[in-house]
Order: sequence, then C-alpha cells, then structure tokens
Amino acid sequence: MEVVIILIVVGIIGYVIYQSLPNPKFQKASSLFDSGNLVEATKILNVIFEKHPDAPAKLAECKLKEGLKAKPKSDSEAIKYFNEVIDINKRLPSNASKAKYEIVEAKAYFEITVIQFNNSISATNAETKVKYLKDNLRFIDTATKSGIESDFTALRKKHLSELAEIYFQFGTQNEKSTKLIEAIQNYSTAKDYSVQSSNSKILYNSTTRIGICKLKNREHFEPTILEDVNKAPLEYKRDFYYRYTKKLLQDKEYSEAEKVIGTHLNFSSAAIDKIKELLKNKQVKSAIKKVNEINYTIEQLYENSFPVDDVKSLYETIDKRIEEIKTVVPTLSDKLQGLKPSLFNRLLSHYISVKQYANAINLIQKYSSFWESPELLKNLGICCYGFVTQGNLTEKNYRIVISNWLTAVFSDKVILKSLDTTTWDDDYTFTLTDAIGSNYEQHNDIPDNANYDDVNDTNISIGATQRELLQQFEILLHNTITDPSLSKVVNDYYMEEREAVEQIVSVINNDILFAAPHFAKTYGLNEEIIKELDNDYIEYSNEESLEAGVSYLKSHTDTYVREYATAKELVSKMVSAIKNEKLNDLKAIAEDRKKSLIEKYETINDTAEDLAFNAFTLKIEQNDENENLIPLMDECIRFLNQNEKLKAQCSHFIHDYCNSKWKTKPPVKLLELMIKSIKYNPNNYRAAKLITILINNNLMDIANDATTSTSQIYSLIDEVKKIKSQVLKDALKELQVLRNKVLSSMGAETSKTILLGYNLNSNGMKLKKVLDTMQTLAGGSSTTSILDLL
Amino acid sequence: MSNPYEILNVNQDAGKGEIMKAQMLAMKEKKYSLQEIQIAVRQLLDPAKRLAADFMFPTKIKAKRIQKIQVEIPVEKIDLSDIDENTFDSLK
Repeated sequence: MEVVIILIVVGIIGYVIYQSLPNPKFQKASSLFDSGNLVEATKILNVIFEKHPDAPAKLAECKLKEGLKAKPKSDSEAIKYFNEVIDINKRLPSNASKAKYEIVEAKAYFEITVIQFNNSISATNAETKVKYLKDNLRFIDTATKSGIESDFTALRKKHLSELAEIYFQFGTQNEKSTKLIEAIQNYSTAKDYSVQSSNSKILYNSTTRIGICKLKNREHFEPTILEDVNKAPLEYKRDFYYRYTKKLLQDKEYSEAEKVIGTHLNFSSAAIDKIKELLKNKQVKSAIKKVNEINYTIEQLYENSFPVDDVKSLYETIDKRIEEIKTVVPTLSDKLQGLKPSLFNRLLSHYISVKQYANAINLIQKYSSFWESPELLKNLGICCYGFVTQGNLTEKNYRIVISNWLTAVFSDKVILKSLDTTTWDDDYTFTLTDAIGSNYEQHNDIPDNANYDDVNDTNISIGATQRELLQQFEILLHNTITDPSLSKVVNDYYMEEREAVEQIVSVINNDILFAAPHFAKTYGLNEEIIKELDNDYIEYSNEESLEAGVSYLKSHTDTYVREYATAKELVSKMVSAIKNEKLNDLKAIAEDRKKSLIEKYETINDTAEDLAFNAFTLKIEQNDENENLIPLMDECIRFLNQNEKLKAQCSHFIHDYCNSKWKTKPPVKLLELMIKSIKYNPNNYRAAKLITILINNNLMDIANDATTSTSQIYSLIDEVKKIKSQVLKDALKELQVLRNKVLSSMGAETSKTILLGYNLNSNGMKLKKVLDTMQTLAGGSSTTSILDLL
Repeated sequence: MSNPYEILNVNQDAGKGEIMKAQMLAMKEKKYSLQEIQIAVRQLLDPAKRLAADFMFPTKIKAKRIQKIQVEIPVEKIDLSDIDENTFDSLK
C-alpha cells in the first residue's frame, strides 16, 4: 500500500514537472490557438516566449489573427495588433526560429500596407493621395516580405499605377490652363510611373499628350513617339496628327504631310479638306519654285557657254525633280521630262567631241531602255569604236565594250539610222537584202533611200557596210592591245560573242534586237531571245536554236535551251571525268535520268560518243598500259546509248593491255579481262586468239598444280562457253591440237587410262577434266572419243 | 583605220570630184603616205565603206537648244494661318 502511494506521488510530481516544461506548454498553446482561444494561448506563449524557439512566431500569429479579426470593424485596432506582431521582432530571443517569425511578420506588414493603400486612394485631395501613396511605397521598401514577395510587388504596382493616373490628371489640368512646360513634366512623370506599373493606357496617353504639348509649344519631338501615338485613343490621335500636319507644312515637308493626311486624317471633315487644299497649294508653289530654279540654271548655262559639269549636274538632278513634282503638277513634270533629251544630247555631243568615250558610254548605258533607240545604239557603237581606238580596253571593260559594239553593228536599224546623217548619198540607194540582223519582211517603215532589192553599183549593200565595220573593229582589236595575254582573251571573247549573235540571227525570224550575249544578259534582253529560240525548237525541232541559246542563259529554268545546255554540260563533265580519271564523277553523271536527257537531243547524243572516244584516245596515247581506263570505259559504254565505237576501242585496248602484261599479271586475271574484251567486240580476232592461249595456259596450270584458282578458272571458262562469237569458236578449235599434244606427251598407256577414267586417283581425275574441257571448248564431245584411244 | 576625211581634208558631204581633187592635193602635200591616201580614197569612193567610215568617224552631233520651261499655273491664295490647329482639340 505504501509502495502504491509512493508511486502515485512520484507520478503526480513527474506529471507536474512534465507539464511545466516548454514543449507541453507550447503544444497546449497551439491547441488553444487552433480552437480560437487566442487570449489563453497568448498567456502561455508569453510565459514560454524565451523558452521555446517557436513561441515568438506562434505569439505573432496570435496577434496577426487578432488583427485580422479586428480589421472589418476598425482599421486602427487592426493596425495596433499588426504593429504588435512587428514589435515582437525587437525582443526576439536568440534561440527563436526567426524564419518562422518573419513569415508572420511579412503578413502583418502586408496587411498594414493594404489598409494604408486603401486609405490613400480614398483621400479626396489629389496632393494628399500622392503623399500617402509615396509614404506607403517607402513603407513597402522597408517591410519584411518573406514568402509573399510577389504580393508586395503586385501591391507596389498598384501604387505606381495610381500615381501614373494622378500625374496624368495633373498634366491635363496644366495643359488646359496652357501651362505647357508643367504639363509636359507631369505627363513625363505619369509616363515613368506607367512604365513601372505596366499601365499601357497611361503610357500611350501621356506620350501623345507630350507630343501635343510640344506641338503647341513649337518644340521638337522624337519621331519614335509616333509608335505610341498610334495606340492612343482616336480623339488624341486626330488632335496630334492635325497639329503635326500643320507643323510639317510649316517645315515644307510636303510629302510627309501628304502621307500623314492619307494615313491618319483620312476622314471627312471641312477642316481636313482645307488642310489638304493648303498642302496642294504648297506643293504647287514648291514645284514652281523648283522649275524656276531649273530655268535659272539654264540661263546660267547659256551665259557661261555650257560648262559640262553644270550640264551634268542639272541632267543628273532632273530625274529627282521629276519624281518630286510628278504627282503635284503632272504638266510641269512632263515639261521637265522633255528637257532631258536636250541635256543628254549636250553632254553626249560634248563627250564625243572631246573623245571622252568612257563618259559617253556610261551616259548612254544609264539612259533608260537606250537600246530601243537606233540613234543611241549607233552612238554607243561609235563610242565603243573610239574607246578601243584609244587603246583603253582592259581586263575589266572588254566584255561590255565588245558586246556593245556587236549589238550596234548587228542592228540593221542602226545602219539605217546612219543614212539619216549622210549627205553624199543622193545618187545611191541602200539595200537590206543581205544585211546582218535583218529579216526581209520585218521592217515596214524604212527610209526612202532604202529597199530590199538586189545589190548593184547604185544600190549599195548595207550588209557590206556591216561587214566592213566588223572587219575594221577586228583589225583594231589586233592592233591596239599590246599585252599578248589580254589580246588573246579579248580576241577569243570577240569571236565567241560574234559567233553567238550570228547563230541567233540565223535562226530567229522575228523582229527583235539581236543583242550580243553579254549585252543581252546585262540588260535583260536575253529573256526574249531565249523565248524565241524555245518557240523555234517547239515548232521545228531545230536543235540549232537551242545551241544558239546556250550563250544567252543566265538564270533561266524550265526552258528547252536550259535543258539542252544541261545535257551538253553533262557530256562535258563526262569528258572531264575521263580526262582526270575520276570514276566516281563519271558514275555520278551516269544516272538514268541524265542519260535520257542526253538521248533527247540528237545533236548531243550523236557527238557524245565521239567526244568520249577522242578523250580515251588521248589518254591511251599518254599511257597505253593504264588499267584505270577500263572501268571508265565500262561506265561510258553503259551511259551512252550510241557506244559501238567505244566498245571496239575498249576491246582493242584490253587486248593490247593484256598482251603487255603477259608476264606480270596472273593468267586468270588476264583471262577475266579478255572475256570483257571479246564481249565488247565479238569479231575481235586477236582477242579470240589470246583467249584461246590464255585458256590453254590456265588449264595447264591446273593440270600441273601450278594454280590455286581452279574453280575461278572453270567458272570463267563457263562464261566463255556462253559468248556468242563465231570468231571465238573458230579460235578455240586450236585447243583440240593443243590437247592432242598433251596426250601424245603422256605415252599410250597413261593417256588410255586417263581417257577411260577407270581407277583414277585425284591427279588423274584432274587431268581428265582439263582434257575434257579443252575438247568441249574446241567443239568436240567431252566423252572420250574412240579416236583418242587409237 | 585612220579617218579618211582627215587624210584627204574633205567634208563629210564631199562628192566624187572633190575627193579626186583632194587626193591630188594630199599627194602634193605629202603629209600622209601614198598608201594611206589611196586607202582613204578607196574608202570614200566605195559607198558601203564610206557609210562605215561615217559610222566610225561621225560629224559632231548637233545639240538642240535647251528651252526654258514655261510656268503658268494659277495658285490660290491660302495660308497656314487659315488653319486652326485646335480644330480637333481633345481636351475640350
């Protein structure tokens, strides 16, 4: 009994001690907090404030909860509790869980901020509002934000957005009372706050209003603001752009003003009509002023005897002036256009008279569609001739000079134009009958002294004049270029261009300008030429037309000329692959699709084999023991459908090669090559003889155990048996003679045994097979004939 | 090729007679070789070749007179001051 009492006492004491420990007390406080008994919980937590690490945070939670409860009734009561939460921070014990506390503290700060923000925006005075909002922003800056940083950020933005709105209102008030500088300042502040708070409405409105204020104040603004202005409300935009248009008119920026009216003020209004009228008025005045300036310049030109630089300057600016006034006063722009040929003529005549042919050529080449004017084309020819006479041809300019010249001379219209300026020709007429670049029916309108009649003493050939011009130019090219390498390049190029233009002249029947290839490609005239040539091919299947077009190709696709050129290029690549012994290149070319492309064009198909044959001949001449040529030949034979010459060439080459390698190459390898040779040319007698000898030698090697390629030899012999060649069959008969020689060398008994094949050992069997094979190939039966046994 | 008109010192509209006469004068003057004079004469007496010579050695291009542009466009009197920039005032 005593023991029991002692145990109970000890238990009670233990319980009491246990209950007085911090942990159970904290658990009790937590239970009270959860059940809403904040007063009791607070009491316990105050007791263990310094003893339990979570007690301060829990106590803060109690205060926070108290504050939230008080908030609907009284902001000041709530703030008192939230401040108590914050005050705990000052007496936080060193062992306390700071992190847990700060989460609660941040919530208390946030609640205070929200209350203060609501109070700020409900202030009636805008200045007070601004003060409260700014104070609260500073409060936010100092607040603990643990765990709810994003809530604070959002709340901060709300403040900034409110400030943006208020400052924008300040700005409008200033603007209404024409305090424009202050207005701009307030709009700028509103703009800054709007950027920070992502308040795009205030951003666009402020920017637009700043623009309007600056326009009102005659200040400059950055054009970048227009992007924001375009996003502002319609009434702001109209206000801004109307003022802006007036400014542009003041600044004489008429084309910009026209654009603004067309884009932003395109609505019906008497005011808009008026500003449009004013714009038109200003533009006309400006155009008249520009034309008067030009008139003054013309006067100056006459007074100063036409200084060429001034003429050039006026000529070069006239296009710009035309562009500027053409929509405003079309009649004036037409008149300016009419001035151009006179200025051009002045410049050209000056350059030609002082022999500045490069300037003259450049001037003509810049003249729009100059090739359509026989007069200009003629002058271009004259200048090119003069340019070459002066020895000015270089690596850089020879192409265009030659091409210009040929284009001018090949145009019979150019020569006809020359007749206009001749005065000595009253007794003569001129005929186009043999003119180069002329088609009989084409010229409906020719000068009175020109005709298409036959040439005679008084009816002079225009063709003869053209040929004389070509000849004189060729003499000039030979005589004026001193550098031999340039001379070769230039003369070769001249011939290429001339032949190309002659080719198109010979196939095109329509009245087009027969431009030389470089000229045609430079000025885009090759389109028409290629089209003509394609049409000619479609109508007459004339491959000469396609051949003529190859030099005129630039970036054309889907034309017959292009396809023909591609086929031609394939053949060139094939020849190049042979030349350089590039088997892989050749295989890449020899696709079926490409093969059919070559076969499509007869001219190419007909010449391809010859080109390959000649390329191989050259290679064989260089090295007649070059085994690499054999696979190249195989590939070409496979690729070209016309290949008989190539097959014969290959057959002979292999024969000669095998003959030369008789001592160095194994007989089995030589036999393999010779089979290819006879297959390519079954009538090759020499190949047939060589195969016979090679078969004999290979079989003798088998009989004498001198080869390890027995099965390969027999399979090659099987292949020989399948070859359909009478020449080969005849040659193989020789094997019968050779067989008999073998038999006679063995003695009667041995040969009898072998031939009958009884009780033969492996060597005997081998010999019998060799002899039987020789007999079969020679045209006899493999079974032993009775004659053999005699 | 040299300019046959220069060698013979004749104008581009010279007739056959003038050319023959010029040939004699040129031979007397001996400014050019006999061969050059002969080539020049052949050039000018062969109409096809002469036409080619005219092409290669043209006479001066006659430039037309540059005419001033007549400007007779009525312009109505209207001025910037007639434009009231507050027409579309958005703060009204």
